[in-house]
Amino acid sequence: MFDIRRISTSRWWHKKKSWTLLGIFLFLVFVRISKGSIYKDFYYFISKPFWPGQFQKEVILKSIEQESLINSNLLKKDNIRLREILSLQESSNNDYISAAVISRKTGSWWRQIILNKGLKDGVEIGSAVIGPGGLLGRVKNTSLFTSSVTLLTSPESKLGVWLDRIQINGLLVGIGDDNPSLILYSEDADIKIGDFVSSSPASTLVPPNIPIGIVQSVDEPFKAKKTAKISLIAKPHVIDWVQILKVKI
Amino acid sequence: MNKFFIKKLPIIFFIFVPIIFLWHPNWLGFLGVQPYWPLFWLLPFSMINGSINGLIFGLFIGLILDSLTLDNNFTQIPGLMLCGIFFGRIELHRDFLVGHFRYGLICSFGSFLCGILYFLQILFKNFSYSNFLLFIPSLQNILAEVFLTGFFAPLICTHLLRMFKFTSRKLK
Repeated sequence: MFDIRRISTSRWWHKKKSWTLLGIFLFLVFVRISKGSIYKDFYYFISKPFWPGQFQKEVILKSIEQESLINSNLLKKDNIRLREILSLQESSNNDYISAAVISRKTGSWWRQIILNKGLKDGVEIGSAVIGPGGLLGRVKNTSLFTSSVTLLTSPESKLGVWLDRIQINGLLVGIGDDNPSLILYSEDADIKIGDFVSSSPASTLVPPNIPIGIVQSVDEPFKAKKTAKISLIAKPHVIDWVQILKVKI
Repeated sequence: MNKFFIKKLPIIFFIFVPIIFLWHPNWLGFLGVQPYWPLFWLLPFSMINGSINGLIFGLFIGLILDSLTLDNNFTQIPGLMLCGIFFGRIELHRDFLVGHFRYGLICSFGSFLCGILYFLQILFKNFSYSNFLLFIPSLQNILAEVFLTGFFAPLICTHLLRMFKFTSRKLK
């Protein structure tokens, strides 16, 4: 006779919980795509009372001393080179933004710091971040109030560097521990412990001649290339104030 | 208001997981490494709500944590989803006493699983550069994380489990 259609109530789309979960999922996908901006801005406000003070003098003064010594040596050499080659690349610009570190992940795989300056202060993605001692990393992501910096020690970080003594370019690769690895694609590079590493004049990512670190140990696991462990001069796990170089290269 | 808080207690704690992940208290660390915070929440939650909820909330928490870390190429989602399923199955064996140290052991295993999955992604990504061997020393991150997670889990998970149980009992 009449086919009585049974109204099913067991379908997933009839359940309120399923729609709630779908809504949460879509919201979280939005959070993921927006790189957690909402969370970071929320964290900005709740962490405000705990922002760093004016302390940690000893560590900073030691790093600044080291930095200025290396800087003056570099400037001397740069001066000589400038006299020789008139078309030397611009090496400095003083247009920077000072920022406090409000979150720091310097251990484990995720090596990043979050700064209390963001889009509203004019921070741009890709800007170099320096601290007392030298280069720390690059701005990878910004929200309205914060910016996230990938440290040189992060497995995501790869940067061209310059070995001043032997006048050779190398690649600095973060490997997820405190000392990034330097790779030199040259068999006969005479790299030694104690060699000074700075940002490469050929790099398109960061300004040239920013101090980075000192060679700590040298290994030769491969025939075609040499690798070395670098001890960074700027210590991301203690630095509370940094400078963001405003203008990109 | 009070009932609202009791009902939403697990979700309130869920919101605080990424905050602690960002906060990264150094004084709790070992070799600069922190315990793997999301597992402390995921274990009690999955034990009470089962594998499917564990899987879903493992995915949710993974999405949030991935958005907070800058590594675009690597994700924490697979590890957390597997942990959600695994932790949810523990509920089936709830008859016998789940002691404090068992939470430590389970969380250590979960942390190891997540760490290894993350490490494998890094190796896989760098395989083509033939410098993947450089990453071997960073295995210490996993070991330190496993140790710390196992160390703190008995304390934190027991309390959270008690609170979540209290919440679910109140709701019934």
